[in-house]
Formats: sequence, C-alpha cells, structure tokens
Amino acid sequence: MIMKKFKRLAIANRGEVAVRIIHACREMGIESVLLHSEADIQSRAYRMADKTICIGGPATAESYLNIQANIQGALAAQAEAVHPGFGFLSENSDFVLAVEKAGLIFVGPSAYAMKTVGDKVNCKKLAQELGLPLIPGYQGDDQSISVLMKEADKMGYPVLAKAAAGGGGRGMKVIRRSEECQEMLESARREAESAFGNPTLFLEKYLEKAKHIEFQIFGDSTGKVTHFHERECSVQRRHQKIIEESLSPSLTEELRRKMAEAACLLGQAVNYQGAGTVEFLLEGNQFYLLEVNTRLQVEHPVTEMVMGVDLVKAQILTAQGQFVISKESTRQPHGHSIECRIYAEDPFKGGIPSTGLLGQVHWPEGPGRRFEFGFDQGDTITSYYDPMIAKVIVWDENRPRAIEKMKQVLKDSVVFGVQTNIPYLIAILSHPEFVSGKMTTKFIETHFSEPLKPIELNDEEKALVQFLTQKKSATTMTQDLQNDSPFFGAWRNS
Amino acid sequence: MKKVFEWNRKKISYIEERIGQTQWIYINGKTIQVDLSLQNGRSRKSSAAKSHNLLHAPMPGKITKILVQVGQNINVGDSVIVMEAMKMEYTLKSQIQSAVISLKAEVGSQVKLGQLLVELQKESK
Repeated sequence: MIMKKFKRLAIANRGEVAVRIIHACREMGIESVLLHSEADIQSRAYRMADKTICIGGPATAESYLNIQANIQGALAAQAEAVHPGFGFLSENSDFVLAVEKAGLIFVGPSAYAMKTVGDKVNCKKLAQELGLPLIPGYQGDDQSISVLMKEADKMGYPVLAKAAAGGGGRGMKVIRRSEECQEMLESARREAESAFGNPTLFLEKYLEKAKHIEFQIFGDSTGKVTHFHERECSVQRRHQKIIEESLSPSLTEELRRKMAEAACLLGQAVNYQGAGTVEFLLEGNQFYLLEVNTRLQVEHPVTEMVMGVDLVKAQILTAQGQFVISKESTRQPHGHSIECRIYAEDPFKGGIPSTGLLGQVHWPEGPGRRFEFGFDQGDTITSYYDPMIAKVIVWDENRPRAIEKMKQVLKDSVVFGVQTNIPYLIAILSHPEFVSGKMTTKFIETHFSEPLKPIELNDEEKALVQFLTQKKSATTMTQDLQNDSPFFGAWRNS
Repeated sequence: MKKVFEWNRKKISYIEERIGQTQWIYINGKTIQVDLSLQNGRSRKSSAAKSHNLLHAPMPGKITKILVQVGQNINVGDSVIVMEAMKMEYTLKSQIQSAVISLKAEVGSQVKLGQLLVELQKESK
C-alpha cells in the first residue's frame, strides 16, 4: 500500500462537483488541475483551480468522455492522481486502468471492484451468490431489439429499460405496453450510446410502489468496509433524482440494519476502496438490490451533514493510503438533511431545458445551509451538458424543520438568465405526501406530471412588473442609472 | 442588489436585471421573466396561433431522429422529431392532423431555440 501525500491532483470533471473537489484539495494543501472542455472556460471551477488544461471540444466525446485526452492532460500538468467526480468517466474501468498504466493514482475503487459491482450484470451475479434479494430481469448478451422485446413481454409490463453502463436516469425508459416497446428500446439505446458510449441495455420488472433507499459505503485504506447510513431519493422524475435526504423517514431500525449489512457485504466481496453507494428499492418491508454506484454520488452532501464526515477528503486520503475508519471517528447520525437539485429548466413548460447567459445569482447563506454551484453571473449554461447547475443542502434538527428551512432557502434564492426548477421544488416540498415521508418513486408521476400553473401575481407585483417593463422598453439605458440613484422618486436602494 | 418599490404606501423589495430582451424580476420569493420583444410587437397569442403549422425547436439541442417524410400524413400526437439536449431525449409531437410539407433540419444538426424544423399543412376534414 502506498502512503504518500499528493502534491497535485487532476479533476476529470466539471461544474459543481469540480468545485467541490477543488475545495477539498485546497483544505488538504493539494494543488488542483482542472481538465476541462473548450465550453467550460466560463465556469467557477475554471476560475478556482490552481491549474487548468483544455482537453478538447465541447462535445463530451471529445473531452470529458475521452480517456486519452484526460490522461494526457493529467500527465502534462504533472498531477499524481485523478479524481473522476461523478458521471462521465467516473465508473469506467477502462479509464481506471488507463490512469494506472500512465503511472497515476485513481481516486476511487480498483478497476476490478468497478467491473464487478459497477457493471449491473456482474453485480447481479455476485449479489445472487451472496444471497441478496434481486428484482426479476434480463441481462443477456443477445442485445437485438427483437430479443429484448420478447424478454419484456415475458416479464410482464411495466418493464424498465436501462443502460448497462449508465446512471443518472439517462438511457432509462419505462415501457408500459407491448406496442410501444420497440420505439422505447430504440430511444433508450440512443441515449445510452450518446451518454455513455455503450449501447448495451438491460431490462427489469418495474416496481410500482417502491421507495429508493441507498447506503453510503466506504472502504478505508486498511480494507475495512463500513457504511455511513442511508439516503432516501424517492423523489425522481424520469429516473433522475430531484430531492434527496438523510436519513430516510421510512426505515425501521431492523430494516436499516439488514440493508446496511447487505450493502457492506457487497463492498467486502470486492475489497471496495473509497466511496460507493449501494442502491435498493424498498416495497413494504421487502428490499431489492438495484445497483452499485462505484463513485461519489451527487447527493453525498446530505450524508456529510448528518454524519459529520467529509467524503471527498476521505476519498483522497484513502487514495493516499492514509484513511482509517475507527469507532471514535464515526459518530451516530444527527439531525436531518435535505438536498434539492437546481436544474436549468422551465417548470411551467414541463421542464424543457433552459440555456443562456447567467445574470445575478444569489444564494442565501445562513446556519445549516450549504450551496454547491458551478456557475456564477456572466457564465453561460449550454445545452452540451447536464442541466443541473447547483445543489442546495440544508441541515436541521428534525425532518419537519429541515423541510421548512429548505422552502425558505429556495424562496430566498435568486437565479437570473436561465429558468430553474425552484418553484417546482417548493411545490414538491409543500405536498402532503412528501411531508408525510410516504412518497415513492411514483410520487412525481402521480402528483407532478403536469407543468406548474403560471405564477399568479398580486396587484403590487403587477404594478412593479408594469413599471419596470414599460419604462425600460419605452426609454433608454439611462433608466438603469436612475433606478440605482437614491434621489430617484419612489426608487431607492435597500 | 435589492431595491425598494413603493406602491399604495407599501414597500416591496425586489431585484431586477435586464438580460438581452428579457426583463428579470425577483419579488416576494418569485422570479418573473418578461420577454420585452413580445411586448412591443404582436401579442403572444396571435403568433402562437399562426405557428401551428410550423414545428419549432422548443429548446436548443441536437436532432437525433426525424420520424416523418415529406408528403406523409400525420395525426395529432404523432411523434415527428426526436431531439437531444442536456443528455436527455425529447420527442416533439404534432399538435394537428396534417401533411408534411418540408423538413428544415437534418439528423445530427445542432438547432437553436425557436428554429423552424418542420413545415406542416393542416388537413381539413
């Protein structure tokens, strides 16, 4: 085992997660190198990193998914290690091997662990051997559409089609009827190919009333695998998580213990190193293994808030051979944490992506609040990448208080230039089913399948809108100066 | 920066910014956007009614599949074009029963928000 502090670490990612990793590096006295595409020169991570290397064009295949470009960039910058973040190459075992072959250290599990539990087919085989509960499905080598269609018919609808290499809801489709099967499979395959460079699909029976519960596992430098409790991520739209929390409001102590044991068992079976997540579906008192994500999760902050850990630093320390989990360093979960993902999309038009130049952005700082964001005023949100532009995380002593805090924080957040799902998030957090904690993965489909109704304005708001828009369109730029002037009639700074 | 608007002896604080042709306003926890180009010209309603025969891109992105051909008759709800933006696929469907007059986009091309993709002719029945 190596034991060496890194001088310089390369980040093969972008956006808010790149910023998150840079924060950890700074605190640890490690120089950060951002490996970025041409499109991301206007981003927070680019401005914050100690060193930046452009590795290719805006299209993901040319940059963030290009293994050799990332390796060359890391070598050119004389980095010793590579952190893959999440998405992109983070779960690609060929990338791990290429990183190691280049003499660099990959911050994450071994290629073997990744191939075994990260690949959905291999993971199910291993889980079966270990006696873990699985959902019925098809993971065969014959990938012709006709065979997939036959298997779907056999399982009975609804059936879920997933990208074997995927995650984050991309390349996933729920097929409800035999007639739409072919079109849906072809669409899923195109998404899989475009997002992950791998068209392999697999099918599984779709559970209608399940909750999404996942366990954060962690393998330290001594080979010990433990867990940092669970997160619940049942609020999903098109299999993309929107709101996550820790702990889950739905687990009994007995279920929590059983699921944690199952999660650690999988990790131990492959000598898992670093941060990983074992995802389950829970229906009633029965849980099924869904998949293992062999990387940091988008929603890792909620675990950090209730467990008092820094998972990114722990990942880097593990890669340095210096992280040892002890009873003394692990605390009991405390309080409740919720994360909301801020997507650049139009909630009044069913969530179609919104792109553009960011204007003012304000995040309302305060106790128990955390903002993870990759873009500031003046940056452009493009259609090349994921629509998630920020994450808002809150902590409070219990779930009802955390919900109220989150609602207020979202109301006080301002993003100009692109539309966001903030109104949608506030509506979800106010829904009785969410408040009760009984929501399932069907929650959004059942209660929020329609676009939000347009904002209703009261008289004073209408008056302000009219005043601002008429004034501006009728006259010239000098109005802006007048607005800021304390001497300008009814207008003044506060 | 927060500003204060006084109206009927009430104080309302707000934030505002004009970006391009859009006026952004944040007030009482709500973010409002007003398209100034629509305010000066025709109303939103009339231009929407006119464009029923034209299928525009509802967002910037890439065309991944064109499911119709010139001359083909299509029904309400038929899938016409598949687009990809931000790594997700979106299927554009026809709002009207119509015939395809011309295709203005190609598979693989990047299109802008509002770009014309397909021209349709409404079928009277």
